[in-house]
Amino acid sequence: MNTLLKFDNVDFYYQTKTEEIKALSSVNFEVSDQEFCSVVGPSGCGKTTILSLTAGLLKASSGKILLKDKPVEKNDSRIGYMFQRDHLFEWRSIWKNITLGIEIQKPQNKEAKLELAENLLKKYDLYAFKNQRPSQLSGGMRQRVALIRTLVLEPQLLLLDEPFSALDFQTRLKVCDDVYEMIKSEKKTAILVTHDISEAISMSEKIIVLSSRPAAVKSVLKLNLKGKTPLEKREDPTFGELFDKIWKELTNEEKK
Amino acid sequence: MKKKNNNNLHAMYSKTHYEYVRKIKRDKTFILSMQILLFVAFIGLWELLATVNIIDPFFFSSPSRIYTTFVSLISSGSLWTHIGITLFETIIGFLIATALGTLIAILLWWNEKLRRILEPYIIILNSLPKIALGPIIILWVGSGATAIITMCVLICIVITTISMMNAFLSCDKDKVLLMQSMHANKFQIFCKLILPSAIPEFLSVLKINVGMSWVGTIMGEYLSSSAGLGYLIVYGSQVFKIDLVMTSTVLLCLLAGLMYAIICVIEKKFKR
Repeated sequence: MNTLLKFDNVDFYYQTKTEEIKALSSVNFEVSDQEFCSVVGPSGCGKTTILSLTAGLLKASSGKILLKDKPVEKNDSRIGYMFQRDHLFEWRSIWKNITLGIEIQKPQNKEAKLELAENLLKKYDLYAFKNQRPSQLSGGMRQRVALIRTLVLEPQLLLLDEPFSALDFQTRLKVCDDVYEMIKSEKKTAILVTHDISEAISMSEKIIVLSSRPAAVKSVLKLNLKGKTPLEKREDPTFGELFDKIWKELTNEEKK
Repeated sequence: MKKKNNNNLHAMYSKTHYEYVRKIKRDKTFILSMQILLFVAFIGLWELLATVNIIDPFFFSSPSRIYTTFVSLISSGSLWTHIGITLFETIIGFLIATALGTLIAILLWWNEKLRRILEPYIIILNSLPKIALGPIIILWVGSGATAIITMCVLICIVITTISMMNAFLSCDKDKVLLMQSMHANKFQIFCKLILPSAIPEFLSVLKINVGMSWVGTIMGEYLSSSAGLGYLIVYGSQVFKIDLVMTSTVLLCLLAGLMYAIICVIEKKFKR
């Protein structure tokens, strides 16, 4: 598969009043087209910083971040971002939330994008709720709406910043399945940042394990678990072994 | 009919739920009854004490004297002029202060440096008793309605600016990032996110400004006026017509309550 995203020797420093904090140190990794990749690491190591840099919300202090061989730009429109919470706007209907990006960007193919939005709502059983307010939807439905809001802008790369962390465990398992199915069905590439090792293993084809701050890539694991959905993949015999391996790497990091 | 409805309730819900709903209704009726009783008791006691001369009606007036003054003001035709003038000054002051205060808040949200430069001055202005500016206002804009409206605006504008600016600044940072990740410019972020999310705070500001604008107008009328409810209060106290003072005060209470109720209706419409 072709490489979609490349981090090439990326360093990043945070500036504070009293000091300069090195958050990333020579980060190198690649994500292929249509690949589902997860980033795990100790708390506060810089996982979200990697996503912010990829989205162009922050600028790397040195090194290159290339998307299809072109450097990412500030607020790059080739990238879609999903946050920890769904951030649906309560004063807007579900339809108005989903078409928010289209309203902002005013694309030339507006009609086609609106049609895509409508089709996605139908495909993922949310069409009946299009005129309702976000508060009338369950947590899982809200996350699906948030993902559709990102997908209608047809990004080449999806960045998922712990999008399931605000959900209870049962809903979380169900939403993981739904989101995974949506991403695979729309043939999208995704990077998931998560604290949950099980979630990372069950959803990903590749896991990037980061060291503690300043974060560097400690190891890259390629996965090929049996099962069509994240829930089925949890049944794979190697699941526990992979979990232990990543767990040990992370606990060794936290001891440092 | 009522009995039939009660039987229907019994059929629809369990006995516990029926009792629960009845308790809520009973509490509501009790609170409303107590509120009415308190009002009637206060008016009755006031009238009684004035009639038996325990309190001097010359200094404390009485509900019946207030009513008589009210009727005589209506029959002389001057009441509507005074109410009209005060209402006009209050509404104009309220609208100017709310609009201008919100506009300044937008400017301060838009330009962080300007906000940081002006912050200490806004804090000083907020803590300054605006009545101190009364004589200067009269010197600058002259006496009469302009001075009264200026006083009303000065009283409301600073609190409007501070409240609205804080509402704009307290918008969820991740939501702003979401808008930025969708390529929204600052104007779009403001119109589609910051402003709608500040509407609850805006409605609170409207409620505060209702009270503040009445304070501003009456203060302005105390300083310089020849008509209006504030003028009637000052005039009444100077010539010892306490009935006139009390009637004007009661009218002020009713008008302020009415304006507050209108804001509550607007709030309900927004919340729907």
